[in-house]
Amino acid sequence: MTDAFSKCHPAVNFLFFVGVIGTGVVIGHPAYLLAGTVTGVIYYLLLNGAKGLKMILGLLPLYIFLTAINPLLNTYGATPLFYLLGRPYTLEALLYGGTIAGMFVAMLIWFGCYNKVLTSDKFTSLFGNLIPAISLLLVMVLRMVPSFIRKAQQIIGARKSIGKGTQKLQEGMTVLGALTSWALEGSVITGDSMRARGYGSAKRSSFVIYRMTVLDRLLVVIMAALMAFTILAASLGQMSAIFTPALDIAPVSWGVIPYTAYLLIPVALHIKEAISWHISRSRI
Amino acid sequence: MKKSNIATLLVFLLLIPATLYLGMRLPGRSYYITGTLIIIELMLPFFLAFEGRKPQARELVVIAVMCAIAIAGRMAIPIPNFKATFAIIMLAGIAFGPEAGFMVGAVTAFVSNFFYGHGPFTPWQMMAYGAGGMLSGFLFAKGRLPRKPWIMAVFGFLCVILWVGPLLDCSHIFLMLSGISWEAVAATFASGFPVNVSQGVCTVLVMVLFGRPLLEKLDRIQVKYGMMEDENGL
Repeated sequence: MTDAFSKCHPAVNFLFFVGVIGTGVVIGHPAYLLAGTVTGVIYYLLLNGAKGLKMILGLLPLYIFLTAINPLLNTYGATPLFYLLGRPYTLEALLYGGTIAGMFVAMLIWFGCYNKVLTSDKFTSLFGNLIPAISLLLVMVLRMVPSFIRKAQQIIGARKSIGKGTQKLQEGMTVLGALTSWALEGSVITGDSMRARGYGSAKRSSFVIYRMTVLDRLLVVIMAALMAFTILAASLGQMSAIFTPALDIAPVSWGVIPYTAYLLIPVALHIKEAISWHISRSRI
Repeated sequence: MKKSNIATLLVFLLLIPATLYLGMRLPGRSYYITGTLIIIELMLPFFLAFEGRKPQARELVVIAVMCAIAIAGRMAIPIPNFKATFAIIMLAGIAFGPEAGFMVGAVTAFVSNFFYGHGPFTPWQMMAYGAGGMLSGFLFAKGRLPRKPWIMAVFGFLCVILWVGPLLDCSHIFLMLSGISWEAVAATFASGFPVNVSQGVCTVLVMVLFGRPLLEKLDRIQVKYGMMEDENGL
């Protein structure tokens, strides 16, 4: 089954991820961080299934490494655990390291979701009207990369069949050279063909596959409201967390509710879709 | 005054100071957000200028081809840990000028992340590659520096070691370090150094082995079809 949030309008997807990543790299409060990580993991697993579990588990050693290394660089803190080469290894710095490493890992997970949801076609359709030349450039590059790889494989195959291709680096460069010549000649033909068909003579119209539905509009309103409450909570100092030299973390307050709700939007949509699918199937 | 010039002035006189001011006022760890916003704002004028002068079809396609070669080169040549990406960006800048160099660099970084995964480092990578391409285009234009393979190789190595690599390390510093202290920054740069050196060596190898032939191909196309000379294409 496909993901329900991925089917929403690209603008909704983009705004959501801007919100998640924008808050994710700033808020250093452990409770919010935990909310961000847990919701990110759930959504990542919903998107990727069992395959995603491997990636999540692979992040664990990175997390531990980044946590452990922070006290080596940052020696502030009131409670030294032990001394390493005469420098204190403090509890506060360790906790701080855990938080920052958590922010980094959470960002990696959310970017994993972003890559799955906001695919290149959605990106170009979103910005196609705003930056027509650059988004045409993006579309062309995205089309050319697979085609060039195929061509490179043809060149490699052709050279193998005449017994060439022993020296690896030299061979790679020869293939790259042949590919470049072929591609540049082709590019001029493409360019002239575009010109002949009237590129640049008028404003380009584009085929729009995405429509703003009622649900999309509703989601934008909900997201804006939840984000407003989150920012309000932040401005009231609910998310302040100071680790060094002494721990001073604001108590968990109501601010965590709108924040978590915001992060749960894609998961909620996914589950709602799964349930309605289940009900409609059981009626058959 | 042209529209894009006004936009540039607005970015430098209003947007960046405003970001810096707000960034300093924000509590907590806002330096990553501030840094990234400034990187994006610094790139805006270039994109706007490119968009504003309505590039010709041929120019667009040639830039797209150079980007695609820089990306596909990495996947098509089966040598592990060998990246010719930056060398190709540099050559595009040298052959087609600073603006094309910037566009090739920035778009290459952006699009290649559709294949390898976007991350918090994407804008930094775009800036690093784009500015690298622009700088090489600027330095080698109009015979300022001779287009000898060794000179391009040395320049490419220095560019990777001193600019592209450190800028990418900066995104890690802003994202991952708990406090910005000199020793922590030095440690991050030191841990990034071997990777940067290996990238630099790749660039040198490509330039020495391949710089002249590829540059000849790029120049030949321009002479043959009279490109990038007059604004009206044909």
